[in-house]
Amino acid sequence: MIGTKKLIFLAAALFALGFSSLAQAAGLVASTEFGAENEIIVSFSHGVDLGEAADPDRYTVFEEADPDIRLAITNIDVSSDGKQAVITFADPLNTTQTHIVNTSGIGGVAKASFSVSKSYIGYLFSILISALLINNFVFTKYLGLCVFFGTAKRKETAKGMGVVFTVVIVVACSMSWVLYNYVMKPFDLNYLQIVIFIGLTSLTVQAVDTVLRKVNPVLFKSFGVYLVLVIANCIIIAVPLLMASNEYNYFETFMLSLGAGGGFLLALYLMSSVSERLELAKIPPSFKGLPIAFIVAGQFAMAFLGFSGLQLF
Amino acid sequence: MKNILTIILRLTVSCLIAGLIMGMTFVFTNKAKKANEHAREEKVVFSLLGYSKANPIPDSMGLHEIFRYVVSDGEAQSIGYLLPSEGHGEAEAFNFVRIDLDGKYLDSSSVAITEKKVKDQKDRDAAVQIALGAGKEIRFVDQTIVVTEGDGRLAYLLGGKFPGFKTHIAIMLALDPSYSILGLEVMEHEEDPGLGAEIEQEYFKNQFKLKPFEKIKSIEVVKAPLPNEYFDALEGRVDESAAFDIMKQYSDQDIYALTGATISSAAVSSGVRAMTKKFAYRLDILDRVLNEQQIAVPF
Amino acid sequence: MANENSSFQLLANGILKENPIFKLALSMCPAVGISTTVINGLLLGTAVLFVQVFSSVTISALKNYIHPRIRIPTYTLTIATWVTVIDLSLAAFFPLAYAKMGIFVKIIVAFAIITMRLEMFACKEPISDSFWDGLGMGLGFLVGMVVIGFVRELLGSGAILGYDVLGFKPLLFFILPSAGFFVVGLMMAFFNWIEVAYAQRKKG
Repeated sequence: MIGTKKLIFLAAALFALGFSSLAQAAGLVASTEFGAENEIIVSFSHGVDLGEAADPDRYTVFEEADPDIRLAITNIDVSSDGKQAVITFADPLNTTQTHIVNTSGIGGVAKASFSVSKSYIGYLFSILISALLINNFVFTKYLGLCVFFGTAKRKETAKGMGVVFTVVIVVACSMSWVLYNYVMKPFDLNYLQIVIFIGLTSLTVQAVDTVLRKVNPVLFKSFGVYLVLVIANCIIIAVPLLMASNEYNYFETFMLSLGAGGGFLLALYLMSSVSERLELAKIPPSFKGLPIAFIVAGQFAMAFLGFSGLQLF
Repeated sequence: MKNILTIILRLTVSCLIAGLIMGMTFVFTNKAKKANEHAREEKVVFSLLGYSKANPIPDSMGLHEIFRYVVSDGEAQSIGYLLPSEGHGEAEAFNFVRIDLDGKYLDSSSVAITEKKVKDQKDRDAAVQIALGAGKEIRFVDQTIVVTEGDGRLAYLLGGKFPGFKTHIAIMLALDPSYSILGLEVMEHEEDPGLGAEIEQEYFKNQFKLKPFEKIKSIEVVKAPLPNEYFDALEGRVDESAAFDIMKQYSDQDIYALTGATISSAAVSSGVRAMTKKFAYRLDILDRVLNEQQIAVPF
Repeated sequence: MANENSSFQLLANGILKENPIFKLALSMCPAVGISTTVINGLLLGTAVLFVQVFSSVTISALKNYIHPRIRIPTYTLTIATWVTVIDLSLAAFFPLAYAKMGIFVKIIVAFAIITMRLEMFACKEPISDSFWDGLGMGLGFLVGMVVIGFVRELLGSGAILGYDVLGFKPLLFFILPSAGFFVVGLMMAFFNWIEVAYAQRKKG
């Protein structure tokens, strides 16, 4: 039930974001994007005069943060129907920065200004993938280990713990974001971060506990027992702290917490699959139990090291 | 009912006491934190210039700070520099010079702030806002320290932050008046220990020393092993004059990448390249404007 | 846990018999993530020691005023307060060390060991006993972190406390974060083996 509502909200948010990026330069420009290392591709909404569009003097391009540093244009290729212009620059572009392109006298518009940046949705998904794989909270950041080793013995417990944890962390993190931006920052109460975040988590756990008890006792029977363990999980305090230090907005926070919970679920599931197999293996007596679990976790950590530097968007 | 009231009362009292303890600790430690930050910056500044506790800075040396702002006036943007002015009293020690995006002089206003207070960002922003008036929005971008010896300029010190392999890398760069590099110090990074974290080692940082501006504008990273003699010179294993000669020899070469950390090395060199180019461009414009407008500055 | 345990026994209990890292297997996150050098182990161990001792003493002193229904929130609040205090102090007075530990000092608030200790011991025992127990647990954690840090630093960078001891780097792998798992796992197995061998010797 909760899942579907969240999905609808997410879809609506994505739609709104996509819509807003299209409406940016109403009129002259239909869309912009980064091309190869040192290119910007501009698609005009209607065919423009080829001569005007190919004239470098009619364009001024700079990074949003450095408006006084004009980037040197070496060449402009305009398609024959005048609808697309590929601007090539002397130096490779820093695509992590938003670039602003100002045109004058192109396509009948005296002055137009539009921005070029990597897709925002792509950015949001990169936060998600980062929290899920590249900076997996268990295998790359080494947090949440106590609970991890405790519940990673069977697939069912792993799934239960993972799902409960994801729900709690998304809710708690959203509340933390609200409190951070509207209470802590304006009143300069940053030193209360630890207390407030852990307090919100306890509240969320309590709330989820009560709600689940009333709404779905069956679900509560299978998942309720994991709620208490959530507080002892280091990840639950690390995610709001990360959100605060990176100053994410709401969507980014949502993606971060979703990725963190998902990463934890993934880690638990992988570990429990191996644990179940290990029970049938011949392990020396001193290694039985935690020691061998640690070593397996170490191997997973090494495997996840391979995700370093992954850049999908 | 009474139970719940007692609970609420006790909880509130505990929260208040906890808040009090934390608040007091915060007030007490905040001052120490700020002092420490300044001390650390000073230490880096001195070491970049080649001085240390054993070899302190001579009295004839002056450190002057330039703070760069972006000023937004509705749609129009301009760059503003907060400069120390020469020949004013202590209370009006600074000038705010505005230059438009094409490098043309706009205006200058005097800013009422003391040398001590200008180091704190909040006080500084407030004073600049007052000097400009309410209609304009200001955003602090970065600061540069100009080091003078007597009457002439000795070095420029600038800080910069750019993406590294993991998250970001923050460095402090020292340039000489012709924009060739005097030194480089890594302030912050989150690279892997043993791999990317080796950018803190002398044999990487010192490769940037003595590289001239022409080379820096197109500097790249080359995946080749560091020649032994160069390594010894960089790590300070030979005496100073021999080291200087060897480093001069390599001053038109690209940077030798760190083993297993090509991306971190490339990130640092492209960061240095971008920082130096932008700084040179901006300082040339500023110097021209100061000259044309005959604005007196202590450097 | 009898009340008549001497302070020394309580201390030794925390360090050996019920060592948080190796025996109770709690609060392992820093043991894996941050124990790359002895200094890191010392610093984080000291921070945890501070929080554990102060929290134990505070709860023990206030045990008669804590309403049983809100004891968990009270424990959390106490721990969070002391963690904030040590976090701010470390950031202000030891900035370089603090920067190395990153987020781990703030995470002390989520350590299960501290809450568990308060629940099991401090809320029932007198102040002095709680003090020694807290000190023992904290020292156990500190010793564990230092030992792991020692092994990793020696084998990973050939140095101890920053001083080059071996003159070369045996296996860079050990200071990579993922090796923490291996080192802790192997040390746990080692401790287990010692116990089993000791028990067998006692029997035979």
